[in-house]
Amino acid sequence: MDLEWLKALVALMNQNDLAELVVEEDGRKIKLRKAGDPVLRGTPFVLPAAAAQAAPPAAAAGAAARGAARPATGDGAKGEAAADLAEIKSPMVGTFYRSPSPESDTYVDVGDAVKEETTLCIIEAMKVMNEIKAEMTGVVKEILVANGEAVEFGQPLFVIQRSAG
Amino acid sequence: MFRRILIANRGEIALRVLRACKELGIEVVCVYSQEDRDAIYLRQADETICIGPGPSATSYLDIARILSSAEVGDVEAIHPGYGFLSENAHFAEVCRSCGIEFIGPAPESIALMGNKARARTIAREVGVPVTPGSETTVQSEEQGLEVARSIGYPVMIKAAAGGGGRGMRVAHSDIGFVNAFLAARSEAEAAFKDGSIYIEKFIERARHVEIQVMGDRHGNLVHLGERDCSIQRRHQKLIEESPSPAIDPDLRRRMGEAALALARAARYENAGTLEFLVDREKNFYFMEMNTRIQVEHPVTELVTGIDLVKEQIRVASGEPLSFRQEDVRLSGAAIECRINAEDAENGFKPCPGKIDVYFPPGGPGVRVDSHVYAGFRISPCYDSMVGKVIVHRQTREEAIRVMRRALGELVVEGVKTTAALCREILSSLRFERGDIHTAFVEEHFLNR
Repeated sequence: MDLEWLKALVALMNQNDLAELVVEEDGRKIKLRKAGDPVLRGTPFVLPAAAAQAAPPAAAAGAAARGAARPATGDGAKGEAAADLAEIKSPMVGTFYRSPSPESDTYVDVGDAVKEETTLCIIEAMKVMNEIKAEMTGVVKEILVANGEAVEFGQPLFVIQRSAG
Repeated sequence: MFRRILIANRGEIALRVLRACKELGIEVVCVYSQEDRDAIYLRQADETICIGPGPSATSYLDIARILSSAEVGDVEAIHPGYGFLSENAHFAEVCRSCGIEFIGPAPESIALMGNKARARTIAREVGVPVTPGSETTVQSEEQGLEVARSIGYPVMIKAAAGGGGRGMRVAHSDIGFVNAFLAARSEAEAAFKDGSIYIEKFIERARHVEIQVMGDRHGNLVHLGERDCSIQRRHQKLIEESPSPAIDPDLRRRMGEAALALARAARYENAGTLEFLVDREKNFYFMEMNTRIQVEHPVTELVTGIDLVKEQIRVASGEPLSFRQEDVRLSGAAIECRINAEDAENGFKPCPGKIDVYFPPGGPGVRVDSHVYAGFRISPCYDSMVGKVIVHRQTREEAIRVMRRALGELVVEGVKTTAALCREILSSLRFERGDIHTAFVEEHFLNR
C-alpha cells in the first residue's frame, strides 16, 4: 500500500468534503471513512478500477473533483441508477388531488418527466389548495396515493426516478 | 353526544382524554408528531394522523395542521388537553368559525380571564379579594416607594412582562426597596426587553390553594372544592392534595363562592381553576384563573368521585352538568406526585432519554396516569413528564403512607426522576403536619 497514494486519497476526500471513499483496484478494495459523523454526508464515491489505474494520483484527484458527489460514469453507472429513486413525502395534512379540478387532466402520470418546478399534485387543507412541486429532475415511477385520499405529514406520495443533470 | 373527537395533545393527557372518550363510546382521532410516532396510546385511537416533525411549533402548536387534521379526520370536536393550544383564545375562535366544537370555555372567557390584569379587575368588581398591589405599572422608584408604603411591607417587585420567576425581588423596607426596584428593572430590561414594573404585597409563608369549577351551557356553575398545591419548586407544582389541611368548611364555602362569583362574571363554561394565595391568618387572595383542565385534576376526581374529563365532553356537547352543588362532597384524602424526568440533585436539569425499565406502582387506592413504557423515549421537544401517581385513602395520614409505599415501588430506569424527592418531602414531619407553604421545598430540600 503506497503511502503517497493514501495521502492523495485523503486529500481527495477533504477537498470534496467526502465522508467516505471506496477504491477498488486489481481485486483489492480500500475504504476510507471519516471518524465522528456516523451519517454519510454524501453518496459514497466509487472510483471504477479503470479510472484509478489509468490516471496518476494528481490527475485522478482532478477528475474526481469535477465528478464529485455524482454517480461515477461508465461501469458504475448501471449499479447507481437503480438506487437513485426518491420519495416525495407530504409536507402537510390534507386531501390529495391529482388534478387542479375534477374536470382537468392529472398533473402527472407514471412515466412523465418532471423538473424542479413541475406541480405533481395538490394537497387541500382548510379550503386552501397547496401545489406540491417535484423539486427535482426525473421521471415519475409510482403514484402511491389515490385521488381524494386523506394524507398525513410525512406520508409518501410519489416515487421519482432521479436523472443526472 | 359527539360521534368523533380529535385530541390535540400528547402524552399522559392525550391518554386521559382517550380513556374518557372510549368510555363514552366516542371515536377518537389522535394527532401525533414524528417524535411521538411510537406512543403506545396511539394504538387505541380509531384514527391517527401525523401532523409534523417533533418541534411543537410545527406540530402541536400549529393551528393549521391541527385543523386540517380535524377536517380530514371528520371530527365534531377538539379536546385541547392542557398546555399547547388549550388556553389560546384565537384557536378556540378558529374552531368555532370552522364549525368544530372546542372542548373548553368560550374564546371570550379565555381572553378575559387569561389576561392577569383584567382578571384581577373583575375580581375587584365582584368583591373578591386580590393580592394588594399597584393598579398599573410603576414608572419610578419614588412612585414605587409610595405604592409600597401604602400596601405595606414586605412587597414583591415584579416585571410586568416577566415569567419563570425572573425579574422579581422582595423588599422588606424603604431602604431595601430602592435597590431592589432598580435591580428588578434592569433585570427585566435585559431579560424581557421591557423594564415595566408593578408592585404586589408579598404574602409570606402563603399556601397556594386553588378551586376547581365546572359550568355548562344551561347556566349551571358548580365548584368542586380545593386543591392545595403549595409544594412547588420555582413556581412549578410538584405535589398536590385535596382537601387542603389548612381549609376548614367555612373557608371552603367562602372561597368556593368567590370562585363562582368570578366564573359567573366571565360567563364561564366547562372546566376551570381559580388560584388563590392563603396567608397565615387564613385570608385568601385571588391570583389568576386557568381556563382549562389541569394536570392535577385527578386529585379532585378521586375525592369527589366525579370524572372531570367526561364532564367536559358532556358539557361541550350541550348536556347539563350531571351533578349539582349539593351533590359535591370531598370524601377522604387524595395526594398526587408529579414524576418528571429531571435531575433533582442538579438543578432539576431535564433528563430526556430512553426508559429502559418501567414498573408502575399499584394496589388499593393507587392510580397512575402515565403514557410511558419500557423502551419509550422521553423527548427533549416537550415537557419532562413521565407520569402522575395519585393516591386516595380515607385519611390524609393513610394517603401519605400509601404514597410513600407506592413511590418506593415505582421503578424508572434510564432517566432520572423526581420520585425520590417527592418521597423525601412526604416523609418530612412538617408535611405530615400540613405545615407547608410555597417556599417550603426551596427552603427545606433544595439548599444543600
